[in-house]
Amino acid sequence: MDFDFTSLFAFILFGLTIGVVYGIVALGISLIYSGLDIVHFAHGEIYMFGAFFGLVFSEHMGVPYPLAILSAMVCTGLLGIVIERVFYRRLTRAGGGYTVAGMGMIICGFGMSVVLQNIAYLSWGADAEPFPVDLGEPFQFGDISLPKSYGLTAVIALLLMAVLHFFLKKTKIGLAVRAVAANKDIAFLMGINVPLMISLIFGLACALAAAAGVLIGPMQSVQVEMGYLMLMKAFAAAVVGGFGSLPGAIVGGLLVGIFENLGAAYISPNHKDIYAFLLLILVLMVRPSGLFGVEVRVKA
Amino acid sequence: MNLLLAPFRGLVDFFQALARIHRIVPWLVAYVFLLPLPEILSATGNDYYIYLTNRILIFILLSVGLNIVKGFCGQVTVGHIGLYAIGAVTSSLLAINYGWPFWAAMPAAVVVTGLAGIIIGLPSVRLEGAYLALATLGLGESVRIMIAVTPALGSSTGIMLIPPPQVGSFVFDDFQKYYYLVMTAAMIGIYLSFSILRSATGRAFMAIREDVIAASVHGINVPANKLLAFVISALYAGAAGALFAHMPPGFIHHNNFTIIEMVTLLLMVVMGGIGHIWGGVIGAIIVYIIYDNTLEFYHIQPLTFGLIMVLLVVFMPQGIGGVIDRYLVTKRFVKLREEKSDGAA
Repeated sequence: MDFDFTSLFAFILFGLTIGVVYGIVALGISLIYSGLDIVHFAHGEIYMFGAFFGLVFSEHMGVPYPLAILSAMVCTGLLGIVIERVFYRRLTRAGGGYTVAGMGMIICGFGMSVVLQNIAYLSWGADAEPFPVDLGEPFQFGDISLPKSYGLTAVIALLLMAVLHFFLKKTKIGLAVRAVAANKDIAFLMGINVPLMISLIFGLACALAAAAGVLIGPMQSVQVEMGYLMLMKAFAAAVVGGFGSLPGAIVGGLLVGIFENLGAAYISPNHKDIYAFLLLILVLMVRPSGLFGVEVRVKA
Repeated sequence: MNLLLAPFRGLVDFFQALARIHRIVPWLVAYVFLLPLPEILSATGNDYYIYLTNRILIFILLSVGLNIVKGFCGQVTVGHIGLYAIGAVTSSLLAINYGWPFWAAMPAAVVVTGLAGIIIGLPSVRLEGAYLALATLGLGESVRIMIAVTPALGSSTGIMLIPPPQVGSFVFDDFQKYYYLVMTAAMIGIYLSFSILRSATGRAFMAIREDVIAASVHGINVPANKLLAFVISALYAGAAGALFAHMPPGFIHHNNFTIIEMVTLLLMVVMGGIGHIWGGVIGAIIVYIIYDNTLEFYHIQPLTFGLIMVLLVVFMPQGIGGVIDRYLVTKRFVKLREEKSDGAA
């Protein structure tokens, strides 16, 4: 059998579009990590909540799809802010990072992820819910037909990244966010409202996850257990790109998406969900600082 | 609280007196005390309690092992159930496909689990921070998916008819006989854990937990010791997995290794107090009994367990072990100091 370049191209294309979604979730994780020194283990469940909010808005309330994305982002962002304020703030106040308090942070996030998953299960049930969005005929690239939802995902994802970049680099609040990420004490002395900025960072990251959830809805169905696998892949994406690096998270997401799709196509489709983990271990072995070379150091 | 703990203080005094003869004496005495437990339980006429005890003992082994990497060394792992699954599957496959006896299959499973620990741990421990947690999160779920989709590893039907262990003609084929095996294993596990804590290696672990930089300045090889702690706990998990697989009725399924089991295990360690060996044991007993008695509320079980875990971490990070330390151990120190100052005066 000849090697089929068209299907290879198709696999890469589908990998890229799904990879964009991984990238957005990884972006949120990296944002929280670089801003607050927290590795957030409940981010997969935040993403799942975003998908369900989007489903509720677009299916049960008849909100048009783009507006549903925005509303889901706002709702999930608020949810994230409440969670951070009520639970995580008490722990981070005692010092984040990797100290014993940092361990508490990870355990707390892990517990929170189970709690959120269970709440979603109680509210929406365990069945996979379809998220039909009619966007018209698929795009045609030669022999490959790419559904509109995939194209839309890529466009919206790029838009989100551009907005985030603009916000962080060009606005005054973005400057304050970066100052808080660099050093909270000094930022506080400069008159920045640090607690508010922390809430903002967390809310932004959760809103990004929600956008990813609503975007992936039309491609796959929405179900309660989608968060855990996404978390695994988003972590892999973040590590591949360099943990804490924002452009790295996107590139890592794309790489994980392509790697996963090629593995599923040429090795074994049953083991699809394991490839991200293999890539994670591989990158940790070969180049632990990731593609974008974030210096991994101890904060003494 | 004082009234509640008073009988325990007597017990602690008794065992400490025994320990003055030789370190191992209290363990032997406790072992003899625990031997007739299944007879007492079977007097209730329900084998189920003995089964429960066996499961608790296996989880004690797991939680004591997890405490070594987490409590002593301060490294976070969240995928321990994956290592447990590796141990269980390896041991049962060796026993079924190659006819290995339990006594060969279990050490082999322990070795394989240790190797898996090295493969996962080696790249992660060189780095600072949460990389071990990231890698093990993937491990836990990947192992489960691997088992679930690979027919040779049991797939959706699980592995059945795993032969029970056997010594000569004595077969550990019911819960009561199996109790002696797991109880011995759990006792050895706890004893070894104390030995590790007391040794130079254990002190190196604790130095790393308190301050990585200070530990490395004092000549402790930080990555090697982190890896050692992780691999030791992987060995514990492998042993627990093998013991679980061979327990009658000899059936394992990938649903035995889900995230709820992981949460249960984490809760045991957190509730008992991270870094407190007896805390881990007490946590395992309490949490598993709660877990088993609330199975009919499976739909809100994760919620409850997760919420307890979050609240414990936020409001009571020392866990039950902290309470024990405050009311039993500290009181003893206070008493000793008073006696000393009386003698001096």
